[in-house]
Amino acid sequence: MNEGLVVLVRGIIGFFTLLILARILGKEQISQLTFFDYITGITVGSIASELTVDLSSRAWPHWVGLITWMALTYLVRVITLKWRYLAKVLEGEPTIVIMKGKIMDDVLKKMNFRISDVLELLRNKDIFDLNEVEYAILESNGELSVLKKAEYLPLTPKDMNIKVTSSGISTELIYDGVLIEENLRQMNKDKKWLMGELKKHGIKDVSEAFLVTLNDAGSLYVDKYQDKTKKVKDIGDYKGPF
Amino acid sequence: MRKFLIITIPIVALALFVCIMLSGTFLKTSLEHKDDFPMKIESLMEDIKNEDWDSIVTKIDELEGMWNKIIHRIQFGSEREEINNLSKNIARLRGAAQAKDRTSSLVELSEAYHHWKNIGK
Repeated sequence: MNEGLVVLVRGIIGFFTLLILARILGKEQISQLTFFDYITGITVGSIASELTVDLSSRAWPHWVGLITWMALTYLVRVITLKWRYLAKVLEGEPTIVIMKGKIMDDVLKKMNFRISDVLELLRNKDIFDLNEVEYAILESNGELSVLKKAEYLPLTPKDMNIKVTSSGISTELIYDGVLIEENLRQMNKDKKWLMGELKKHGIKDVSEAFLVTLNDAGSLYVDKYQDKTKKVKDIGDYKGPF
Repeated sequence: MRKFLIITIPIVALALFVCIMLSGTFLKTSLEHKDDFPMKIESLMEDIKNEDWDSIVTKIDELEGMWNKIIHRIQFGSEREEINNLSKNIARLRGAAQAKDRTSSLVELSEAYHHWKNIGK
């Protein structure tokens, strides 16, 4: 029995099974994972690693375990999408921990949460003074959402009655020296226009540009392969070699 | 076409994985007559009962050769313990045959057959 070869084959099976199932499960952002999703991720990872290297048992039972966990996760996700009440039971719901500037001590006790934890989460939100907080809500993913008191909210153009135009989303026109003609057409521009704009930045050929983006307001961002920055600022204090 | 491939490739890949993982059960069965492991065990049983020790030693060599070939086929769909245990049984059977020990030979052969049945299950 060639153990290395068997582990290689089982590794390929585990890797691609996880890849396929993860794509089927969809793309919930890591930051939005609930505690249960987190545990599921660890368990599935552990089963996949056993599938790969635990030669004392066949790959099949591990694979069935992997499929079962993924299928149940998918099932729970579908049910919670359709049944709001169950979603609240399974995933928890947001809890107000600071209301109108007052800390809800009873709520914190019920959730086994210390006030120092809330202060830490507030500091993560750049809030160092509790007086600034109107509402703080502990989300089901463990993050704290904060609404500051009106007097501490940042000034916006609307407050000053200033009219602003939206810059919109940037679209890549050149990526890694390659022109993306589909995006150029979407922005109602043509290659002639682009080359004219690039010439203003000293670019004669598309391959000289590393990244070129265009936003809805018509503003172009150009980055060349050969940046003419003479003195590159080094923010690290590690001397090398890498 | 692209959508078809996006759906087909994962399905084919998963089906292939299942086949590889369950391959132990069907790949252990003989592909040709000289690969028939259970038949060789039965024949050895008969020889041991008749205490035909010269024939037994030759057949153990054949059984071991056969087993070494089968291992390559079943290694991806079987557990290492069963494979190792069956290899050990054959080694012990050889010792028992050299000592002309009828009881130990039957015990080892019987256990080897038990492991054979469990492979891929």
